[in-house]
Amino acid sequence: MRAPSLLSVYGTLFLALLFQLFPWTGEGVILRPDFMLVVLIYWLFRAPYLCNIGTAWVAGVLVDLATGSLLGQYALAFTLTAYIALFFQRRLVLFSSFQLLFFTFGLLIFTRLTILVLKLFSGNEIPNMHYFWPVISGVLLLQLMRFFLGPITQSTSNKAN
Amino acid sequence: MLKGVHQKLETQQTPAFFVRGVSPFSRMVLFCALSIILMAVDAKLNYLSQIRQAFIGGLHPVERIADIPSEFIREFKKYFSVHNQLVQENYTLKQQAFENAIKLQRLNTLESENTHLRSFLGGDMPIHPRAVLGDISHTGRDPFRNVVIVNRGSQHNIQAGQAVVDAKGVLGQVTRIYPFSSEVTLITDKNLSIPVQVERNQLRAIAFGQSGNTLDIPYLPSDVDIKIGDKLVTSGIDGIYPAGLAVATVTKINQDPMSPFAKIISTPTAQVSHHLQLLILELPELKEVERNPEETDDDEPTTTTVKEAKPDART
Repeated sequence: MRAPSLLSVYGTLFLALLFQLFPWTGEGVILRPDFMLVVLIYWLFRAPYLCNIGTAWVAGVLVDLATGSLLGQYALAFTLTAYIALFFQRRLVLFSSFQLLFFTFGLLIFTRLTILVLKLFSGNEIPNMHYFWPVISGVLLLQLMRFFLGPITQSTSNKAN
Repeated sequence: MLKGVHQKLETQQTPAFFVRGVSPFSRMVLFCALSIILMAVDAKLNYLSQIRQAFIGGLHPVERIADIPSEFIREFKKYFSVHNQLVQENYTLKQQAFENAIKLQRLNTLESENTHLRSFLGGDMPIHPRAVLGDISHTGRDPFRNVVIVNRGSQHNIQAGQAVVDAKGVLGQVTRIYPFSSEVTLITDKNLSIPVQVERNQLRAIAFGQSGNTLDIPYLPSDVDIKIGDKLVTSGIDGIYPAGLAVATVTKINQDPMSPFAKIISTPTAQVSHHLQLLILELPELKEVERNPEETDDDEPTTTTVKEAKPDART
């Protein structure tokens, strides 16, 4: 798990799309995280040279198509989120695990808020509070990804010594 | 000087970091502009509905793969369902079938009587729409809309605008068609309105979807004759929903002395979350085609059907 390959990036993104398409029914639906977005954030943090704003945009368009909403809403939200994520990407090395968690939380909230604003512009009504619940499950998902796919910041020099 | 800076940076980060090409900011601006253009094109020009249909059609195999685990669990549960439960279910179903058979007998005589009486009066014959049974595959992926996705699409001759019902009452209307699935907007969605009639006194009104799984009946005077518990049925004047289907029951009436209108809230009788099957009724084709021939072969089903429902209902 040293250097992530392009295949692993697109593989996990495709898997996330699959999860997004999974026919979720029942009570658990409100807790369903934004799989695509979380995977995207993970790779933006870890390998910005493989997964950049363009990837985020394409992923957003795919999510737009899958949700059947007005095309471009998720694309715009993902692009903005990716920009913020990349803006702070160099500082991630300095972040503690808790700070990283908090940062992801903020990013996910930001995406949800952006989509909310866009949806309100296109004439939808304000949803109730469990619109924001996927943020929590999203943070948990990122923790899981860090556990299984490797840490985000590679402070390998310390470990090697 | 420059050399010194370069050396200093090299110790901080890996060189791969510097070969980045376009700066993130300009990328962000570019892709934001692209998405705004996409939004404008999608909202105003309707070019993209074909692309969306093709994409969803192409996704069908992927969706089937994603569906495998839940299907497996469902089958697994079915296989191991307890014998007792099955016997019980069988018993209740038989009882229901028996009761329904008796009711059907009465219905037949009533129906023939009704057509007879109608022929005396020279009225139109009531329509008996044919129906297609569909399964709900999931409840949509957009948290802002009240829709369900049904596993019947243009391959099964489903058209946009068809009414959808379940055993208890009206569920909604087909708004978007994909090759192997279609999107049913529920009557509780904000964009859908349905012409109704109070069963007790035949008062006609239009019910609009509201958040929180309720229907709102606006623009009725505050002294209107509607009580809590009144049943609302479809009036059938829009040509989409056949007359006499249960829609909702009035649950709350707020009479504000300052407002000239009563605020009437009702809950739908159909239960979306309780089962997986629903019926898609066929459109009454002849009248519909004569009235607006240009709308039948439209590309974007959502906008036409929702818009279509409202002016029709108001007439």
